[in-house]
Amino acid sequence: MAIIVKDLSFGYGEKTILRHLNFHVPAGKFTALLGRNGSGKSTLLRLIAGFIKPKSGSIEVCGVNVTSLSLAERAKRIGFLPQVHYPAFPFTVEEVVLTGRAAYVFSTPTNQDRERAKSAMRRIGIEDISNRPYTELSGGERQLVMIARVLAQEPKIMLLDEPLLSLDLLNQVKILNILKSLVASGLTVVAVLHDPNIAFRYGDHFVFLKNGMISNPERSDGFHNAHMLADVYGIKIEVIPVRNKFFIVPDPEGTEE
Amino acid sequence: MKRLKKEIIFYLIPLPLIFLSLFIGPSEQVGPIEILDWVLRKTTLLSFPGPTYDSMVETIVLHVRLPRVLLTFFAGAALTASGTSLQALFRNPLVSPDILGISSGAAFGAALALTSTWLPLQLTAFVFGLIAVGLSYFIAQRKGDVSLTSLILSGIIVNGIFTSLLTIVQFLTDPFKLQTIVHWTMGNLHHANWSKWESAFFPILLGGVWLYGMRWRMNVLSLGDEETRAVGLDPKREKIRILIPATLIASASVAVAGVIGMVGLAVPHIVRMMVGPDNTRTMPVSFAFGGIFLLLVDNFSRTVASFEVPIGIFTTLIGGSFFVYLLKRAQDLYQLER
Repeated sequence: MAIIVKDLSFGYGEKTILRHLNFHVPAGKFTALLGRNGSGKSTLLRLIAGFIKPKSGSIEVCGVNVTSLSLAERAKRIGFLPQVHYPAFPFTVEEVVLTGRAAYVFSTPTNQDRERAKSAMRRIGIEDISNRPYTELSGGERQLVMIARVLAQEPKIMLLDEPLLSLDLLNQVKILNILKSLVASGLTVVAVLHDPNIAFRYGDHFVFLKNGMISNPERSDGFHNAHMLADVYGIKIEVIPVRNKFFIVPDPEGTEE
Repeated sequence: MKRLKKEIIFYLIPLPLIFLSLFIGPSEQVGPIEILDWVLRKTTLLSFPGPTYDSMVETIVLHVRLPRVLLTFFAGAALTASGTSLQALFRNPLVSPDILGISSGAAFGAALALTSTWLPLQLTAFVFGLIAVGLSYFIAQRKGDVSLTSLILSGIIVNGIFTSLLTIVQFLTDPFKLQTIVHWTMGNLHHANWSKWESAFFPILLGGVWLYGMRWRMNVLSLGDEETRAVGLDPKREKIRILIPATLIASASVAVAGVIGMVGLAVPHIVRMMVGPDNTRTMPVSFAFGGIFLLLVDNFSRTVASFEVPIGIFTTLIGGSFFVYLLKRAQDLYQLER
């Protein structure tokens, strides 16, 4: 298991955001994290990344309690892709990717760090834009750059907070295929996704959050459990079987609850 | 190595420029010929025919012009390097030691030290510079977030506070000292001497070396707090590590040369236009080019009129118009709307 979460609770002041979560993330798999806006998905990722401390419970990452690791030690194990990023200065793509090496760098990056950044860019297929200013890229290209930055970090686990946000279908598929290939090479990926169809097509394992609690599908492949999905999203859902696959569409008849 | 070639020009200019600047000054008896003559005789045994003015040349060159030229170079380097690091640290291309209140805070501290008999000049300037920038940051902060515009607005408030406090100090000072303070606040290198150079040299050297060591981390920080944390650096700690030396060198410059406005804002932009935003390159170039820039402006201000125009007036006029231009262009250049 790459991540084991035990009895995890979190909140700000009186407000509880996550309640007694228990789940695990298998190593070397693509785990999709789904749930409504405000259900605590981002908070959960930030907890696993060690940015914030749990109120109670524990998070084990690669067999070590996250809170016992320093920021730099954490960064060497866990890569984190924050939500849409706004650049302030027109750094080149290569300079942005190179910052992923921060946990390994004392004052300035060595040639080895530059090499790692280059190989991360090659893996993502962005070496041809390495000298372009980051500010001039499209949303899809930027996301690729930020993923390359996480790769340069050489983590064992990659957490992505809505990596497909505001991307067109082509770019969504591009990113998903890259994540898939990273998983195939042994990386553990946890991504917040919004489209259940996309999640079921690409994911190996699923975690659903509702009101700060886990709603686990009865079947481990997460498929076509219309009732559970309807519960998670609070809408009526239809499951349409097509050639051994299932597609989930909202039922326009209205919302549940 | 390939990277260095393009910038090498900035590191080659300072020494010859410092040397040539020694020839500029109001003295009629000590012209270029006399100085060349003196230099030749000091270094070789050759001499120009005619009378010599050894002791006068020596006094003017070694004790009036040299400290001034060096101090000018250092002040320009310090203000520019401080501005470059602050802009990276706050992810805000519109901030500078002046705009964040560091200059007026340090000016108040320095004025306080100048009127008192026991306050140490450099330390007092530094402490008040730090208080000022801390205050700007604190006022601008909302829910842990500091927006671009609120930082500039709070800087205006802090600037106002310390400028008023400075006026109170001036008001309470006896007329004899008042003139010194007023001249000095205008940003003046006219009174440069070796003791001023000595008092500013170590803080600027220390802060400069420190910032130079942080130059790549500024790249990491300017991507944002969450992005910094994700790669394993604590943004708060790193910011303090940059803020302290950046304030130190700007305050040290203000303490000896007064408020030389707008250098810390405009010159970092000129540097970035020349070498790009990567701080591993802009930091060293900021030191070199900041010094070159201020020395050129100072040489100009010493020769343009029969009397000497305080340099702060020139830099503010140049930098102020540049700031207007920046504000107009910043929207496209830096995607300010956040």
